[in-house]
Amino acid sequence: MVHEDPDERAPASPEETLRLIEAERAAAQRNIQPDPRLTYVPWGVAWLVGFGLLFLRLGPDGRVFVAMPAWLPLAVLYVLLIAAFVVSGVTGARAGRHVRGVSSVQGLRYGVSWAAGFAGVVVIATRYSDRLPDQEVVLLWSGLSVAVVGVLYIAGAAIWQSRDMFVLGMWITVVNIGGFLAGPGWHSLAISLAGGGGMLVAGFVEWLRWRRGEC
Amino acid sequence: MSDEPNRVGAPPDQELDPVIHAQARLRVMVALSVLREGDRIAFPRLQEMLGMTAGNLSIHLRKLEEAGYVEVVKTHQGRTPTTLIGLTRRGRLAFEEYTATVKALLSLTEEK
Repeated sequence: MVHEDPDERAPASPEETLRLIEAERAAAQRNIQPDPRLTYVPWGVAWLVGFGLLFLRLGPDGRVFVAMPAWLPLAVLYVLLIAAFVVSGVTGARAGRHVRGVSSVQGLRYGVSWAAGFAGVVVIATRYSDRLPDQEVVLLWSGLSVAVVGVLYIAGAAIWQSRDMFVLGMWITVVNIGGFLAGPGWHSLAISLAGGGGMLVAGFVEWLRWRRGEC
Repeated sequence: MSDEPNRVGAPPDQELDPVIHAQARLRVMVALSVLREGDRIAFPRLQEMLGMTAGNLSIHLRKLEEAGYVEVVKTHQGRTPTTLIGLTRRGRLAFEEYTATVKALLSLTEEK
């Protein structure tokens, strides 16, 4: 059969057909899945820098490694967290735009689970903030927050069947518990290097998969 | 060429599904197969993903819809009418069969 229309033309060989399928599939995956560099890296940077500054200003046993105003580390952490929230949120929303169905319901409910988790953290931690020394306040807030983050990554891994996300959630949970037991100051260091660093590694691994159109 | 496009369990020496075995419709099928089962994509987003004109995409979607591979749902997003497109169960199966047949053909040519 001879077709005039190039659209109706069949790929020349099984090799070419398979190549076309693979290339189109990878491109479609990249279009529909958010770029992991934009969903993981901003959070990794926020933790690395924000908790790093906290460690340097409010170190273990009240040590001050680098002199700076007491408000500065928290201010930097909040600004970076807000930036990460905006960047990853916009990236996720762009990838899911104009797609309706099972995954939009999943995404919405998963988003609500983050809001619900942090609402609990804020209410609980606020009550005790005035009664604790500065060091303990930081430990309370960051310990609870990071616990929620770790659990929600594990839950996300269950929803999206992502092994990388599961490993990251477990890692964050272990680092959080270990750092918390080590005490104020050490916890900030652990979340900065191991937590933030883990997030950056996860982002890089996911990006390699994403580039190949595997996730 | 058979009129029945969906030959489930087709042996590899059989012809490839003619509905899918055309450059443009194959691309549409691949793009839709990437969506999760139970998801649908809006027409303009699909068009943008594929870089096809609206008219061209409509023609191929109609053919895929006639074969029962694609479901086109007209709905409203607030006041704006939206057209949502997704693979049917049959379409997903047909695409899997198609890919399997291509791979089988490929291994046949490699054996020669």
